[in-house]
Amino acid sequence: MSQSRNFSRRQWLMTVGKATAAGAALALAPAYARGAAGKVVVIGGGFGGATAAKYVKRRNPAIDVTLIEPAKTYYTCPFTNLYFGGLRTFEQQGHGFDELRSMGVKIVHDFASGIDAGSKTVTLAGGDTLSYDRLLLSPGIDFRWNALEGYDEAASQLAPHAWKAGDQSVLLKKQLDAMRDGGSFVMVAPANPFRCPPGPYERVSMVAHYLKHNKPKSKILILDAKDAFSKQGLFQAGWDRFYGDLIEWVPMSKDGKVVRVDAANLSVETEFGEIHKADVLNVIPPQKAGAIAEIAGVTNESGWVPVKPLTFESELVSDIYVVGDATIASPMPKSGFSANAQAKVAAAAIVSSLAGQPPAIATFANTCYSLIAPDYGISVASTYQIEDGKIVEASGGVSPADADDTFRKLEAEYGVSWYQAIALDSWGTRA
Amino acid sequence: MRTAIRAFGFAALLSALVGPGLAAADQPIFDVTVLAAACANCHGTDGRSPGSIPSIAGRPEAILKQQLQAFKSDTPPAGTTVMDRLTKGLSDQQIGALALHFSQISKTPSAQEVAKQ
Repeated sequence: MSQSRNFSRRQWLMTVGKATAAGAALALAPAYARGAAGKVVVIGGGFGGATAAKYVKRRNPAIDVTLIEPAKTYYTCPFTNLYFGGLRTFEQQGHGFDELRSMGVKIVHDFASGIDAGSKTVTLAGGDTLSYDRLLLSPGIDFRWNALEGYDEAASQLAPHAWKAGDQSVLLKKQLDAMRDGGSFVMVAPANPFRCPPGPYERVSMVAHYLKHNKPKSKILILDAKDAFSKQGLFQAGWDRFYGDLIEWVPMSKDGKVVRVDAANLSVETEFGEIHKADVLNVIPPQKAGAIAEIAGVTNESGWVPVKPLTFESELVSDIYVVGDATIASPMPKSGFSANAQAKVAAAAIVSSLAGQPPAIATFANTCYSLIAPDYGISVASTYQIEDGKIVEASGGVSPADADDTFRKLEAEYGVSWYQAIALDSWGTRA
Repeated sequence: MRTAIRAFGFAALLSALVGPGLAAADQPIFDVTVLAAACANCHGTDGRSPGSIPSIAGRPEAILKQQLQAFKSDTPPAGTTVMDRLTKGLSDQQIGALALHFSQISKTPSAQEVAKQ
C-alpha cells in the first residue's frame, strides 16, 4: 500500500500546520481544500450507488458527483421473482437515471476498468480517466465461475443463474414458459454468504405459483448447500399450504449439496453421487464482491470487502467507500435495502469528511419482504447499530408464525409499497 | 437539510468553534437526518410514501411520537406488522428526534423542490 493512500486528513492538517511556505501547503492540499467542495465518483448504479450519488448531492449540492454505470436502465433483482410468477413484467423492475441527472449528478454510461488509489483516479473502459477526492464502490456481486465444477459463464446460457437481473432473468422465464407440464424445475442453492438470503426461496414460491396454475403436474426440487435458510419456518409453512408436494427441499445433510453441473444435459451431481435431471435448471453459484472491488484492492482473502462500520470506508484503502452486497456487514444481509441504508450512511460520512467534520453516528435498518403467494407475504425486519466498532442488531425478527391471513395480505401489500418507496428513494423512479 | 434541523452533538460544536480536525475530530456526532434516512426505504424519501405504507412527513410531532412509543411497547397497536420489530431498538431520545424531524417536513414537496426535480 502506498504512503499516499494512508495519508489521512489529520496528517495532512498537521503537515499544513507545520508548513512555513503557503505554496507548499497548497501543493499538498486535496481539491476540496483549494476552494472546491470536492469530487466524488460513484461506481455502480444499483440500490447502493444510485442512493449514494443522490444523498451526497442532497447533503451538499456543491460537491461534484459522477456516477459510472454501464446500463442505461438498471434492472433490480428484487421483484424479478414476481416476474417468474407471472405477476409482473420484466420491464417493471427497470430504473433510469433521469432524477439523478436533474439533481446535477453526472451520469457516465461506461464500465470502470481500473482504479489507482495512489493517484486517486478511475479508468474507464472507454478510455477516460476520472479523478476523485472520495470514491464510492457499489459493485454488487460477481460469480466464482467453476467454483462449482462445470458451471461457468457458458454453462449459465443453458442453466441460467438469473442472480443478476437482465438477460439471464428473461432466459429463465422463457425456459419456464417452454417447460412441459410434468417437468422438473431444479434449483441449486448456494452456501452462505450470498446475495439476498431469502431470494432462492421466494423464487421457488413464485415458480410454484406459476406451475400450480399452468403446469400442475410439474415438480420443484431445491438442492441446497446448507441446512437452514432465511425465514425457513414461514416459507415451509407457506409451501405446505399453497403448493403441497409440488416443492421438495433437500438440505445439505440429506445430500442436497451439488458438486458438479452438466449444463449440456441439464443434470447435476450431489456430494454422494446422486444424479438429478432437470427440465429447467437454475444454478445459483458461489459469489464474491464485484470485480472492481478486487481491482481497487479493497477485498480480503474471502473475496468480500471489509469496511469500517461507522462510515463504510474500506478498511484497507483510504478514501474508498464500499456499500452493498460486496461488503462484509454481517449481521446485515446482502440486500438492496441494506445497500440503500449503507449508502446513506456512507454518503453522510463522505460529505462530513470533505467538510472536515466528524462522521455521524451510524444506524441502519433492513426489511426484506418475500412473497409466497399473491396475497401472502412474509418479512424479516431489523435495525442495527454499532457497538465496540461492530455492527450489531438492535432489534428485529421475522413475521409471527401464527399470523392470520389479514396480516399476510398486509405484508404482501407492504412489500409492493416497499418496492415503490425504495425505487423512489434510490433512483427517483415510480415503480 | 430543508426545514429539518440537524442536531449537532458536543463534538461537532467544539469542532465548529475551534476549526476542523483539531479537536475530537473523529468522535461521531448525532445527526437526525442519518437516523431518519433509514425510514425512507419504506416510507419514501423524506417520509413521503408513494404506496400504501403510510406517509410520515408533516404529521404532528406528538402523534408521531405517540405512535412510535406504541409500536415499541409490549402491546403494539392492532394491525402492526414490522414496526414493533423496528422500534424495539430505538431509544426514547431517538424516537423524540425522529418525531420532531418528520413533523417539520412538509407533506408535499415545495415548489422549489419540484422545480429541482
